[in-house]
Amino acid sequence: MNSFWTVAGFTMKNKFKGKSFLITTLIFVVILSIGANLPYIISLFDKSSGKATSIGYAIDARAVEGTKIAEQLRETYASQEKPAIKLIEFPDAGSTEQNEKALREAVADKSIKGYLVFSSVNESGLPDLTYKSEKELSDKTRQSLEQGIQVVKTEMVLKDSGLTEEQKTMLLSPVVINALQITADGASTGKTEAQKGVDIGFVTFLLMLLFFGIMISGQMIASEITAEKSSRVMEIIVTSVSPLKQMFGKIFGIFVVGLTQILAYVVVVIININLPHNNSAFQQYDIDLSKVDPTLLVYGLLFYVLGFLVYACLFAAVGSIVSRTEDLGQAVMPITLLSLAGFYITTFSISTPDTMLVKVTSFIPFFSPFVMLLRVGLTSPPIWQVLVSIAILVVSIYAAGWLSAKIYRTGVLLYGKRPSWKELRKAMRAYKV
Amino acid sequence: MKPLLVDQVHKQYGDKKAVNGISFQVEEGEIYGLLGANGAGKTTTMRMVLGLIYPDEGKILYNGKPYTKEQLRMLGYLPEERGLYPRVKVSDQLIYLAQLRGMSKHDADANLKQWLDRFEVPEYYGKRIEELSKGNQQKIQFIASVIHRPRIVILDEAFSGLDPVNVELLKSTVKDLRNSGTSMLFSTHRMEHVEELCRNITILHRSNPVLQGSIREIKKRYPREKVILRTEDEVTGLEGISGVTGVKKHEYGYEVGIVNEAAAANILRHTLEQTIVNKFEIMEPTLNEIFIKAVGGDLHE
Repeated sequence: MNSFWTVAGFTMKNKFKGKSFLITTLIFVVILSIGANLPYIISLFDKSSGKATSIGYAIDARAVEGTKIAEQLRETYASQEKPAIKLIEFPDAGSTEQNEKALREAVADKSIKGYLVFSSVNESGLPDLTYKSEKELSDKTRQSLEQGIQVVKTEMVLKDSGLTEEQKTMLLSPVVINALQITADGASTGKTEAQKGVDIGFVTFLLMLLFFGIMISGQMIASEITAEKSSRVMEIIVTSVSPLKQMFGKIFGIFVVGLTQILAYVVVVIININLPHNNSAFQQYDIDLSKVDPTLLVYGLLFYVLGFLVYACLFAAVGSIVSRTEDLGQAVMPITLLSLAGFYITTFSISTPDTMLVKVTSFIPFFSPFVMLLRVGLTSPPIWQVLVSIAILVVSIYAAGWLSAKIYRTGVLLYGKRPSWKELRKAMRAYKV
Repeated sequence: MKPLLVDQVHKQYGDKKAVNGISFQVEEGEIYGLLGANGAGKTTTMRMVLGLIYPDEGKILYNGKPYTKEQLRMLGYLPEERGLYPRVKVSDQLIYLAQLRGMSKHDADANLKQWLDRFEVPEYYGKRIEELSKGNQQKIQFIASVIHRPRIVILDEAFSGLDPVNVELLKSTVKDLRNSGTSMLFSTHRMEHVEELCRNITILHRSNPVLQGSIREIKKRYPREKVILRTEDEVTGLEGISGVTGVKKHEYGYEVGIVNEAAAANILRHTLEQTIVNKFEIMEPTLNEIFIKAVGGDLHE
């Protein structure tokens, strides 16, 4: 047991002291800080783009009806709390042509984005509207214009109907649908849309941490072992300590390193989120982090540990049979693809976490750390399914550990070209492992 | 109780025999030579002694006991392919390796400093391996194999890649270790090192031990077949003397092959008639020659 800790300690010490560790951690910290501040940063830009679009129109004595409606439209926007459009009135220059000329000049000197031309009233009681601008009419502006005119139109119609203000408000207020996600057995009282949004965001964050955590530390394990082999220091190590202790010591050491890294990231995110300027930004986007389910965090940690172990064993085995660092990338490709597959199943199913694919893969060992976390986070799977999935995973870890230890024991002594399965099996028999 | 006893050990890799029935024993304070061409089975034998792979047949005993994990702690190993962590400080990795073999951190540290002083390189303590020259890396590698005070040390090609000064330094260190009672298993291609250090040897050829015993006795088994002759002036007619098998002229004089020692007297007489003799020596066969005879004849088949 003693040399297990010696190996783990040495691995940790070298990783923590290494420059590359510090640099990658810092890079991720910067990326995460930017990510956590993104809503705030977006809101900064939003303030400028949230300003009302200026649109001009000219008072035209030859089109009294149109001018009147334009006036009403201007008042409607002016009475709104955060209007998307601000109508600017231009004085009558004498003729329609002169008016347009003045408006065009205003567009040229950028005081307005575009202008509206009201034709004479048609049979619907409203004038035809033409929007003229240099740039294309944006969907947002079109929508706002349409809504504004709709309001004006409704008011025109209702003006003489004798309805009270209250009745008008009732008529105009939109219908709201509240979605609430419940469990059939009544265990959960329901998740609101906002809660679901937070869940999806949080689960995505956890899955990313899980995936990158496992991949990065797995690669670390494989490359450490290969480096020991290619520098031949392995010859001395294997004659000093049993390969099994060495392998698991190394896995444990890297596990602590990876966990430290992840904890650092989580702390950075928490600090960033709690910065005062971020509070309002998150509120604006209806993100309430107090709604994060703490049990999900526990599951996240559990699946991180299990997922890490099952992949770490594979990475260690592959690292042990490769003699040169250059060959490692190619050799770990199958493992990378395996984990990528697991990760992508979750990414594609994040909006439909209840498909058969998700249910089935949540029991398959190399996918289950990702997929079961998704299910736990976004749906409410029966507890026995979660337990069965974990049990299968634990058994797989044991099997992968056993097999990897055997491969490792043989692999570290084989130099030269990467052995095929057959050669490896032969060597295993020869070495009696 | 012999520190190391290898008894009729066989090892097979698939359908290839790697070691075919090797037996030897190493006394306390003895350096045992294991010789052989590349691929003769030396490394496999050493790996079996180290417990990395298990023999198919036969047994290996350490102080009369079979292999256990605890035995690892009294074994030291200098592998043929040298290697340490290039980017880790000398102190960090040597203390680590000593700790893996059961030494306490404090002892390992003290021992490392002693060894560095002995090699007159105490400033390497805090340096990284990649900063050192190749010869100095070798010294550190050597320290790595003996820092935990092993009772049995396995040295695979101990002096390869060293300059003559460092070879002498390591050789004297190896002798000191021997004199302090450490048993060593020593493999090399440099026969003069074997002649200087080893009492007993085994020559392996194609997995088989072909020659075994003390160097002195082995040499007695091989007749003296060579005369070294150095003279003032040139000598003619050496080839005509009966019992002479061949004459090679070198810068320093002549190397004359003879059938037996009786022929040597004729050579001396013949030479003295012509000129003054500066040197005359009937050479005993060098280990190199014995090795080539034992192994080399076969190499041409």
